[in-house]
Amino acid sequence: MVDRVSALEGHYTPGRFGSAGDVGVTLTEVRDLTLHQVAAWPETIGEVGGQIAELLGAKSAPGPCSSCTNAAGSILRIEPLKWWVFGAEAPEVSDEMGATLDISHSRTHLRISGPKAAVLVNRVLPLDLRADAFGVGAVASSALHHVGVTLWHTEKGYELFIPRGFAVAVWEIITETAAQFGAEVI
Amino acid sequence: MTGKRLPDGGRIDRTKTLRFQWDGQALTGHPGDSLASALMANGEQIFGRSFKYHRPRGIMSAGVEESGAMITVGEGARRDPNVKATTQELYNGLVATGQNAWPNVRYDMGEVNSLFGRFLVAGFYYKTFMGIPPLEWGKGTGIWMQYEKLIRKAAGMGTASREADPDHYEHSHDFCDVLVVGSGPAGLSAAITAAQAGLDVLLVEQDHELGGDLLNQSENSDGKREGLISAAEAAGVRIMTRTTAFGLYDYGVAGLLERVTDHLAKPDEHQPRQRFWTVRAQYTILATGALERQYAFGNNDRPSVMTAAAANAYLHRYGVLAGRKIVIATNNDSVYEVAADLSNAGASVSLLDARASVAGSLMESTGSAGVAIRTNSAALKTKGMRVATGLEIASASGNGWQASGSESCDLVLVSGGWSPVVNLISHRGVRPVWNAEQACFLGPQTNEPISMAGSAAGVWNTDDCETSGLVAGVDAIKALGKTTKETQSAPQIGGWETPIKPLYEVQVPGRKLKSIVDPQHDVTAEDIRLAHREGFVSVEHLKRYTTLGMSTDGGKMGNIIGLALMAEALGKEIPEVGTTTFRPPYTPVAIGALRGQSVDEHFRPLRRTPMHNWNMAHGATMQMAGLWHRPWYFARKGEGITEAYIRETETARKTVALCDVTSLGKIAIQGPDATTFLNRIYTNPFAKLGVGKARYGIMLRDDGFVMDDGTTWRLSENNYFMTTTTAHAGKVMVFLEELLQTRWQDLKVHVTSVSEQWAGSAVAGPQSRDVLAACVEDPAVMTNEAFPFMGVREVTLKGGIPCRIARISFSGEMAYEVYVPSDYAPAMMDLLWAAAEPLDGCLYGLEALGALRIEKGHVTGAELDGRVTIDDAGLGKMASPKKSFIGSALRQRPEMMKENRPQLVGIKPVDRSEKFNAGAILCKTDMVSGLGEGWITAVTHSPATGHWIGLGFIAGGHEAWQGKTAIAADPVRKGNVEVEIVSPHMFDPSGERMHG
Repeated sequence: MVDRVSALEGHYTPGRFGSAGDVGVTLTEVRDLTLHQVAAWPETIGEVGGQIAELLGAKSAPGPCSSCTNAAGSILRIEPLKWWVFGAEAPEVSDEMGATLDISHSRTHLRISGPKAAVLVNRVLPLDLRADAFGVGAVASSALHHVGVTLWHTEKGYELFIPRGFAVAVWEIITETAAQFGAEVI
Repeated sequence: MTGKRLPDGGRIDRTKTLRFQWDGQALTGHPGDSLASALMANGEQIFGRSFKYHRPRGIMSAGVEESGAMITVGEGARRDPNVKATTQELYNGLVATGQNAWPNVRYDMGEVNSLFGRFLVAGFYYKTFMGIPPLEWGKGTGIWMQYEKLIRKAAGMGTASREADPDHYEHSHDFCDVLVVGSGPAGLSAAITAAQAGLDVLLVEQDHELGGDLLNQSENSDGKREGLISAAEAAGVRIMTRTTAFGLYDYGVAGLLERVTDHLAKPDEHQPRQRFWTVRAQYTILATGALERQYAFGNNDRPSVMTAAAANAYLHRYGVLAGRKIVIATNNDSVYEVAADLSNAGASVSLLDARASVAGSLMESTGSAGVAIRTNSAALKTKGMRVATGLEIASASGNGWQASGSESCDLVLVSGGWSPVVNLISHRGVRPVWNAEQACFLGPQTNEPISMAGSAAGVWNTDDCETSGLVAGVDAIKALGKTTKETQSAPQIGGWETPIKPLYEVQVPGRKLKSIVDPQHDVTAEDIRLAHREGFVSVEHLKRYTTLGMSTDGGKMGNIIGLALMAEALGKEIPEVGTTTFRPPYTPVAIGALRGQSVDEHFRPLRRTPMHNWNMAHGATMQMAGLWHRPWYFARKGEGITEAYIRETETARKTVALCDVTSLGKIAIQGPDATTFLNRIYTNPFAKLGVGKARYGIMLRDDGFVMDDGTTWRLSENNYFMTTTTAHAGKVMVFLEELLQTRWQDLKVHVTSVSEQWAGSAVAGPQSRDVLAACVEDPAVMTNEAFPFMGVREVTLKGGIPCRIARISFSGEMAYEVYVPSDYAPAMMDLLWAAAEPLDGCLYGLEALGALRIEKGHVTGAELDGRVTIDDAGLGKMASPKKSFIGSALRQRPEMMKENRPQLVGIKPVDRSEKFNAGAILCKTDMVSGLGEGWITAVTHSPATGHWIGLGFIAGGHEAWQGKTAIAADPVRKGNVEVEIVSPHMFDPSGERMHG
């Protein structure tokens, strides 16, 4: 199998940049994204949710705007009738139950971490990131530089899923903004 | 006014010196100085020339309401005009210049204007230069348009740099429970109270130091300021300084402007100059203070006339005594302490109070400081040519005033009362309410979670302001469901011992005075009366006619005086006349801050296909197509665009050519009802499309016009892959979602955009099959029998790349669209190109794509522009009469079925060597005028026919034009070209090549 080529190819240069001193934010492109959408019908939402939860050994599938994670992968609730399965294969779902779709190549996955991560994210998108509003596990659709993105808060930082075609434009905006905090690309 | 720096006092650091330039002179100041205080300490008096009359102007205030000391800061690309010297922090190396003056503000040739002042009244230019009789009697503004250029040069303020802005700006967002605007005693107290109850409080202050009016009070109040600040910090209040809340919007949204580097000699290259914040607060407390206003009297705009509060600020905050011999004119209590402090600081001070009597305690304390106090007295006219050298005094006489001697002085301080800053609350669509007792507008009650506190709420004394802030904090706590033990009640509005005497203008019978109401726009008291005599009764009209309050201070200085004079002229009270509306921004916001990072290459987000780098490496010249960056043509050595696209077009017709078509919209349609869904949205039948087949489809809007076209592939029983045009991809996706979520909730269908998941290439030309056969792992799938026209196959490319292919054609040749998951796009292109290049194949871009499709008469967004019916596009046979579909009812409206509607046609020049342009109007040969009979949408030089051809629409279609020619009229570019109207299918009309 040939290697996958990132949308940031030619634009992603690991290293330290911006203000000197402590590193305020760390930027990472998480490569080789594995992402599947699992959709249910209104009357099968419980059953499909159960199937997904089973995949991760969780009690139940996450509710709106939240996620659950274990070693096998993560499940994000991204729409009332849709989940994303991250880092794992999707369960088999019959047409009568719902539909699955491989969207692994549709997004570029960036991780923003470090002490200034939330401040940087709030420079570019308008979500309330205070701990009680957007704690670890929270998921939301938002917009960044006119581009619709998905934001997910994990133990590792803020994970951004950017439509692949806009990845370079968004990457440039984020790196330009990150410079003031003292930044490092991993 | 000859200010001098006192040996001690103030909040400046005398141990350090800052060097700066004012109009070419090298001067010094200290950290903590504003540019105004430093200039005043250097003895400077004239800082600007007024807008219309070029009257000399000096410092009038110590804050954002400044209307005199408007200067230009910076040089070259960083030249920033109309900066208020009173709010500009001094830094080492600051360069400031005067504006609207030549050769400089001290000796300005434009001052001659003031000699003609009696002519330059409100509306002068309009009256004089618009519709000049008899040339323009009753019509037009043609002459005005010429004069305006000259007038604009003479009037005005500073000029912005014409160079590109070298600074960068950014936007930011924040959220809080309570937003407190203003950090005076009220704001600090409100913030502390709310934060101590566990609320997340954001306190914003436009100054670089917290404290508000506490900064202007004598040093013994510093303990209080510091105590409040440490309490706020201890309570966890988040504090932003150098940040102005410039506007208040729906649902607790506030717009803030943070000046990040404007005070720095060497800005950090990684910091933006300014940051534009959108803050969303659950509760907002406006502790924005109050501004002292003047009243109008003769030459009240002369340098050396300022507010009493300003002199107080220069004394206590900056350690500058603004004058040696000072006359203070007031109508309220607020100046008494100021008078005593100025006297104690060494000035000779006399005080004119318009009121008949004042509280004995005030008289005593101020009098004992050596201040001579006269009641029943007011300022009538300043004396002196450029700066005030004395003051003519008026004394009360019945209901009016009479001249009553004069006094020499070098500084006149005026207090005509205080105007609470109600700007932000006014942004919420509520009108301020006039309080006659305090002679000021106050914020009205609103049902939004907003409180006013401190002097912004009409509370005058410092201690009361603190209580007022505390009560506002308690309001916020209760509104947000928290509890507090605080039980204090709100202080009374006001706080003066003797009531204010409303006073807006002083004049005496028989004297003509130049009394300025709005100094920034040179609006005089007489202008207001003239406007009234000319029939203006509404304040909104008055404002626009006289330009009162329309300058950079937004009416902070002059509005109330103007309203009062209008009320007087109308014989009404101020509340009856009303007030104009304060609108955002409170203080000016740089355009750069509004645009943030959306500039240059980020003006809009650029969208790149997964083979972007591959295309560039193979010689693509790119073009914008919507947000997409797409290959335009691939020039070889020595080729320009014309040679390149003609070669590319010919190659596609002769051998094989590859084109990046990733930008087409792609939508996954899944579910047991997917077939039903497609059958409803497409005009043509989809119910019987077999698995492994693709079909071209047309979608209409509800109103029956064509929305989009594309092919949809049936991948399995309940699984389709729809392609849309590049231009309408988003619109189609949104429409399909809307249909499923609102009209057809019963359908079990999910639609998901997969435009980004799949990268696509067109492989077009007689040898396209050979190319693909060389790329797939199993060449047997590519035979004509195994893979017929309109077939769809999911295959594996060499290297194990999953791939879906449809045999469809936009070019008219045998062709395929080949899609792989996006990260494999470069690998796919390497494979395809390795197979195509040895066959004398080529890469092609949008220009050749256009030529190929125009030859075939295939439509794109240029034709499907939202005004075209399916019949107009020549595709009426695709509208099934046997089913209903979106748009099927409304497309049958009589107007849309008319015979003579413009229909899609091909266009050829009669003289085959001629060229014509897209956008030309098609007319009858004997009537080249009006809207014509049609229009041209696309043109190309067609390699297949050897001449220029075009597509367009013309009434009746090509059959109506048999045997007739038309004129392609293009009056502003090419002129007229005689054209033939033909079928749009100008190349291979039977489609033999496509079916291969």
